[in-house]
Amino acid sequence: MKQKKLKILLPTMREKYRYVIFQIISEEGEEFSYSDLESAIWNTMLDFLGEYGVSKTSFFLLKDCWDQKNQIGILRCNHKSVQVVAASLGLIDRLGDNRITFKILKISGTIKSIKGKFMR
Amino acid sequence: MNFYDFHIHSSFSEGESTVEEIAQRAKFLGFKGICFVQYFKDRSQISHLKEKISKISKETNLEIFIGLEAKNPEELNRLIDMRRDYDILLVQGSDIDLNRKAVQAKEVDILTHPEFNRKDHGFNHVMARLSSSNKVAIEINFREILLSSKNRRSMIMHNISENVKLCKKFRVPIIICSGAVSYWQLKDPKILLSMGCILGLDLNEAKKALSETPEKIIKMIKERHDSKWIRPGVKVIE
Repeated sequence: MKQKKLKILLPTMREKYRYVIFQIISEEGEEFSYSDLESAIWNTMLDFLGEYGVSKTSFFLLKDCWDQKNQIGILRCNHKSVQVVAASLGLIDRLGDNRITFKILKISGTIKSIKGKFMR
Repeated sequence: MNFYDFHIHSSFSEGESTVEEIAQRAKFLGFKGICFVQYFKDRSQISHLKEKISKISKETNLEIFIGLEAKNPEELNRLIDMRRDYDILLVQGSDIDLNRKAVQAKEVDILTHPEFNRKDHGFNHVMARLSSSNKVAIEINFREILLSSKNRRSMIMHNISENVKLCKKFRVPIIICSGAVSYWQLKDPKILLSMGCILGLDLNEAKKALSETPEKIIKMIKERHDSKWIRPGVKVIE
């Protein structure tokens, strides 16, 4: 049976999101897949913030915005937890056997503005 | 806004990476200046590092400073005596007597991680008052958090946030540093800012800790290198 769609919330009642575009710098230019990255971020965030803490951030890693060639990705969180999420990214120093560093390119309120600038 | 990282160990001290590797990574991450910290051995070591740094500074267009870190009171006295030979004087926190001695000295710029390897936070209201009047910055060290985990990390973060609370109350300058020993441990300034915010600073205070406090230290370095400078608070006026 087809599920009935929810009525869209009014703009003032919606959650205010922020989009963080980041780049991964890895040892010897290793390329990581979306699933590698997703599991690394989720594990670190669950370790650092706990299940309750992560639930407060509305964290979501956008799959279709992952640029594997340039190792650039976009994550979404709510406007109150940008600092917490950014600090968690800083605590990831390894992905598999490779050492990595995150560079935060920009934090924006709309996905369109960062996509146009950093992803072509 | 210009960001600085004033606590980096290169292969000249306990670090793994070369000065060039660290400078290039710092430039890429968006830092305006960095400070290579080392433990004192002899004067020739400082002049050797100075030569190397001036070359890299021109190549990368990065402000690079030399810092010496004192590990005990005797070393601190010795480093105070030769204060003009290098840029930044750091004191390795953890021992309560050394912490106290560091905040009493006007020559000291940064007291690094006062809570390091301690169960308490290694810093109290008396020290806070002293460091506020002597303008000794208290460091938030990112590596300490990065390399610990689970209960140890939560304890360290609690101790740092208690120190931050005291620093805010007594208007003590705070500085956020990566404390990196390898160029992989250098962090994006936005990540350091965020860690500051988690530990009890608001965004503007965190920005100050990464930009304004280091700039004040740089201003002091310039004053100190002036030929008219004699000691803190004393200079020749014509």
